[in-house]
Amino acid sequence: MRLPLVSRREFIATSSTLAAAACLPSWAEALQSAPTDKARVEAAEAALAHAATLGASYADIRVNRYRRESIATREQQVQNVQRSTSYGMGLRVLVNGVWGFAATNRVEPGAARSIAEQAVAIARANATLATRKLTLADADRVTTTWNNPIKRDPFDVPLETKIAFLLKLNETAMAVKGVSFVNSQILFVDEQKYFASSEGSRITQRLVRTYPQFSVTAADRAAGDFATRPVVDRAQLVGYEYVEDYPWLLDAEKAGNEVVEKLKAKPVVPGRYDIVVDPSQLFLAIHESVGHSTELDRALGWEANSAGTSFIKPNDAGKLRFGNTIVNLVGDRTQPGGLATVAYDDEGVQAERWHLVKDGTFVDWQTTRELAPLVGHKRSHGCLHCDDWASVPFPRMPNVSLEPAATEVTLDDLFSGIKRGLFVEGRGVSSIDQQRYNFQFGGGVIREITNGKLGGIVKDAAYQSRTPDFWTSCDGIGGKALYKLWGTSADGKGQPGQTNAVSHGCPPARFRNVTVINTGVQS
Amino acid sequence: MMARDEALAICETLLGHVKSAGAEDAIVDVQNTQETHARFADNHITTSGRADNVTVTATVWVGQRRGAATGNDTAPATLKQLADEAVQIARVSPVHREYVPTLGAVTYPAERSFAAATENVDLDARAKALAAALDVCRREKVTGAGFHNANASATATATANGNRRYFRSSEGSLSVTARTPDGTGSGHYAGDHFDLGRLDVEKIAREAVKKALASRNPQPIEPGVYPVILESQAVADLMSFLTDALDARTAEEGRSAFSAKEGKTRVGEQLFDERLNLYSDPMHAEMPAAPATPEGVPATRLSLVKGGRVEHLVYPRYWAQRQKREPSPGPVNYILESSAPPVALDKMIEGMDRGLLITRFWYVRLVDGRSLMLTGLTRDGLWWIEKGRIQRPVRNLRFNQSVIAMLAKSNVEAVGAPERRSPMMVPALKLASFTFTSTSDAI
Repeated sequence: MRLPLVSRREFIATSSTLAAAACLPSWAEALQSAPTDKARVEAAEAALAHAATLGASYADIRVNRYRRESIATREQQVQNVQRSTSYGMGLRVLVNGVWGFAATNRVEPGAARSIAEQAVAIARANATLATRKLTLADADRVTTTWNNPIKRDPFDVPLETKIAFLLKLNETAMAVKGVSFVNSQILFVDEQKYFASSEGSRITQRLVRTYPQFSVTAADRAAGDFATRPVVDRAQLVGYEYVEDYPWLLDAEKAGNEVVEKLKAKPVVPGRYDIVVDPSQLFLAIHESVGHSTELDRALGWEANSAGTSFIKPNDAGKLRFGNTIVNLVGDRTQPGGLATVAYDDEGVQAERWHLVKDGTFVDWQTTRELAPLVGHKRSHGCLHCDDWASVPFPRMPNVSLEPAATEVTLDDLFSGIKRGLFVEGRGVSSIDQQRYNFQFGGGVIREITNGKLGGIVKDAAYQSRTPDFWTSCDGIGGKALYKLWGTSADGKGQPGQTNAVSHGCPPARFRNVTVINTGVQS
Repeated sequence: MMARDEALAICETLLGHVKSAGAEDAIVDVQNTQETHARFADNHITTSGRADNVTVTATVWVGQRRGAATGNDTAPATLKQLADEAVQIARVSPVHREYVPTLGAVTYPAERSFAAATENVDLDARAKALAAALDVCRREKVTGAGFHNANASATATATANGNRRYFRSSEGSLSVTARTPDGTGSGHYAGDHFDLGRLDVEKIAREAVKKALASRNPQPIEPGVYPVILESQAVADLMSFLTDALDARTAEEGRSAFSAKEGKTRVGEQLFDERLNLYSDPMHAEMPAAPATPEGVPATRLSLVKGGRVEHLVYPRYWAQRQKREPSPGPVNYILESSAPPVALDKMIEGMDRGLLITRFWYVRLVDGRSLMLTGLTRDGLWWIEKGRIQRPVRNLRFNQSVIAMLAKSNVEAVGAPERRSPMMVPALKLASFTFTSTSDAI
């Protein structure tokens, strides 16, 4: 049974009246007091100085403030509006080659000295558990400020404008005959980071991310069946202009039509298929099979108890055949709009772009200052990250992207010559083993390709492969015009678990003779 | 950890501010958390730290319009700003169609899931315990990676209608993964308890090492349908997908595995083996939990599956009101157990003619919400059993298996004693069939 709906007219009338009566003040002046520039500098300096006094050979501190605004709706009603602020500081110290860390929400010199004592005590207590000497790669001493470019600050946009956007999006999807439910959310994150190290770097950064997403469901209640079309993974490091400039309503209508077709679609016939994977799904295959396998901490066993290790060994760089020679993959923390884009990482190393896979060969790792010397590098690639002031910074994935073909290869070019194939779009279920070999990916919508032509939707399809086999089977990559940036907002890793927002750019690509299974056969 | 009086005093201050700002109803809460951890890998300490935080949230309604704001500063001026912000959000929001008045005064029993030893971690004692665990690894010439964690929290809540509550909770845990130097063997074991002093650190390390050594040089087998024994960790890795699906609203909206044809639900259906009972109980001796749901409904024992029959779905306060039912007194934890005497793991092995013994699963995802079809992989210990004995380690496998079909009457052969795998207590299971769809080279 459907819920009672708020009429569009009622909402507009209500919000207009209230907006005139009680305009929401801007975040800059409204929410709770944040530490002033002076206060955070004083606290950071106190922590670093006290850590040195207590015997730390190196220390760094992040004084961070996070503002988040989230709005959740379903059909024509608002489920939740939430604003939050969190700020605090986390200090990392190196004492006799052992790390210690402590964090507090109180940003003032007394608390700073207290966390210095806690962090040093933790490092000293764990000295007996250390078996090797830790060396940090060199880093430049930097004092700078960087804000990611945005055209319109989402925290200055009236709340009712954002709500109206979501409800219009829902209305558009619900207007498609057969659509039963729509859930939509938008999240804005403002991350303000101040980094200071005992080596003298002082770096201030502001990162603004915008996360729109929605999901459309068609339910056949008489038959007890339903289908869902999620439209997620669109977050970027951009401002509110992303909401205004992108044709979201077209996506909503398309998703509505797709989910209705999907509910009635025929099941896939399992077997071997040539598949063309759209950026809306390929980004996830890149993330899981390339992004995680090229993390050096995993190859060294540092994630063995959690996220796992890697099929790539520490001495494989420059030697391991990763895929077909047309495959080139880069790590890039400078990519415009990329969720993992920064100017400097969380230990003050400048962001950069480098090849992980060049002409099909694995050539380099994701590294930090601690990791780089372990594979003979003098400099880090800038992959240290923490998801909160209270989290220990550790190696996290940069934006990892597939380079487009040098020529303008079109989607029709990729389809041509395929006798029996599938075109995979959007997020389905993803799962990959702990060494990043065996994976299974579904799709939001999967269509047949027959003799080079795109056909109807099939349901219950998922493709399975093995990372080196998959990338070796890649014999077609789209051109620059088809290149798109997608991303995941909550990539989990580490203990305690942390989440990382990271983007992956790619054009569609073609993979030959891939195993496709039917996931709907059991009940 | 913030004491009851201090935490509730902050709530009262915040409640006063939201009322002054115009809120007609409100719920405010203050949560103080302390997290302490040590992580190691390659038999070496890697990271270790501590983080303290206080989170304050005000959720208010003005003319049934809802607003919520969260901060982490309890200074008096900041609390007022937070209250004003929540009320201002409410004023510009549409009517909250799912508003239910906040709870009034309720008497709750004291919580049983907190231990001071977990809050106050002795750093030297932890280092000694972890040194002993690493010694176990070194003696057997394997590399150990692990995570020792101790979390404690205190949460106070107050509503405009007079509800006041304060609960503390804690949880200590240790997990260890041991790998052989040649990279062909890997074993994992973990334990958790609300009282850190009850963790048997050396046992956890010994079990992980034993599994690593016994899993060396695994050989591939063909994917297919096999009888299996799932250790309790493997069962826990799958069960959350079933418990998440017990929501009454999605079932009644026709988009859940517990939806039936013609708009009905599957309550009352014999979906599972008749020995199986699934329930929530805040007073469970080994797995106690908060004596209230997150909405403040007093938690009592809640039977979800009884004798294999779906007995109750979960009704939060709004959906209960709409459906003219009482809100569910849970769940706050999950206990899966058999009404028959438990069968020990070694007896399950002795009773298996041929099949697989599974330590745990990895990267499990919901493939199909209609059937609770899951996919994922085995990890850190998989063996072939034949004629009642473990014969050899085998290569990891990917599965595609419905968790409902897995627990069906025709599929459950034996049920072990429930073991703590927070936030669940689950048994090992011997199952007639489990579907594997491909092999994995991962160790």
